[in-house]
Amino acid sequence: MERRNIEDQLTLYGQSFTSRLLLGTARYDSPSLLSDAICAADPAMLTVSVRRQISASNDTGQSFWNLLRDTRRVILPNTAGCLTAREAVRTACMARELFQTNLVKLEVIGDEVNLQPDPFGLVDAATELVKLGFQVLPYCTEDWVLCRRLMDAGCEALMPWAAPIGTGQGPRNPRALRELRERVSQIPLIVDAGIGLPSHACQVMEWGFDGVLLNTAVSRSLHPVRMASAFAEAIKGGRNAFLAGPMIMQEKAVSSTPEIGRPFTSESSQSAHPQGRATGPV
Amino acid sequence: MSVVVNGETYPLPEPRTLAALLLSLSPLAPFAVARNEELVPRGTYEECPIEPGDRIDIVHPTAGG
Repeated sequence: MERRNIEDQLTLYGQSFTSRLLLGTARYDSPSLLSDAICAADPAMLTVSVRRQISASNDTGQSFWNLLRDTRRVILPNTAGCLTAREAVRTACMARELFQTNLVKLEVIGDEVNLQPDPFGLVDAATELVKLGFQVLPYCTEDWVLCRRLMDAGCEALMPWAAPIGTGQGPRNPRALRELRERVSQIPLIVDAGIGLPSHACQVMEWGFDGVLLNTAVSRSLHPVRMASAFAEAIKGGRNAFLAGPMIMQEKAVSSTPEIGRPFTSESSQSAHPQGRATGPV
Repeated sequence: MSVVVNGETYPLPEPRTLAALLLSLSPLAPFAVARNEELVPRGTYEECPIEPGDRIDIVHPTAGG
């Protein structure tokens, strides 16, 4: 079994993080709930966006800015809702000016029904943004060719979806996600969108993904603070399991308790089952 | 003679600079501004001319996923 790194940190564009959870800031019932959920999740980054001022909104403007600043977390602005590469690039430029960061979660939406990424616009936008000095984290699908094109464009991390944004369905295409992980060994892969349960997050971490980006699964749960904590634990558990190197699945039962010395058996009955039998749960 | 700010019509500022327009609008900080869809970097508002029909976008931080 390959030796895996025990000094375990997530590194994105040269910044290292002990947490592997990236948390969205939208759809919380109140700023205080968001703030408490951030404390419970202990995320590496917080995703944010830019919009025209909406009056009387809790999650925009100066109060939201102050809340973000108080968390002292790394900010990851998105280009949510952009339908063209041109729109996404311009939004990213506005976000960089506002948040003073080169990081951008690049979204170019190709379908307004399932919010699926537009692979063509995504590559065009990523190419342009990398030229402009951005550190691009593209929200993409698990399509291998798309991911390769994004890496060719200069993306040093990718964020394939588990399922459409906000659905909470969990990994829709596990085989393709796992194949992507096997083929992309050189840069971080963050599963972004479609995660609904801590078990989904744990599962993708067990597969070797480097992190998980969440929003709705926490903010629209009944108890967001508790759920944020549950996700943080699940992601750590999945990561530890991956690092620990899971056992290889077997086709047949294998006794975990030694067969030799089992009482109330004759020599002949023990020798009649030289492979041993399952004697109980592991 | 007017400009369009965040989709709404406003009179042209005097002098015709972005700085003068922002002075009259007094958007709450922090914000970023685009003129005709191009970002105007902070610190260059005085030098940024405003022409009739210009489209100005003023954006603020907001929650996002």
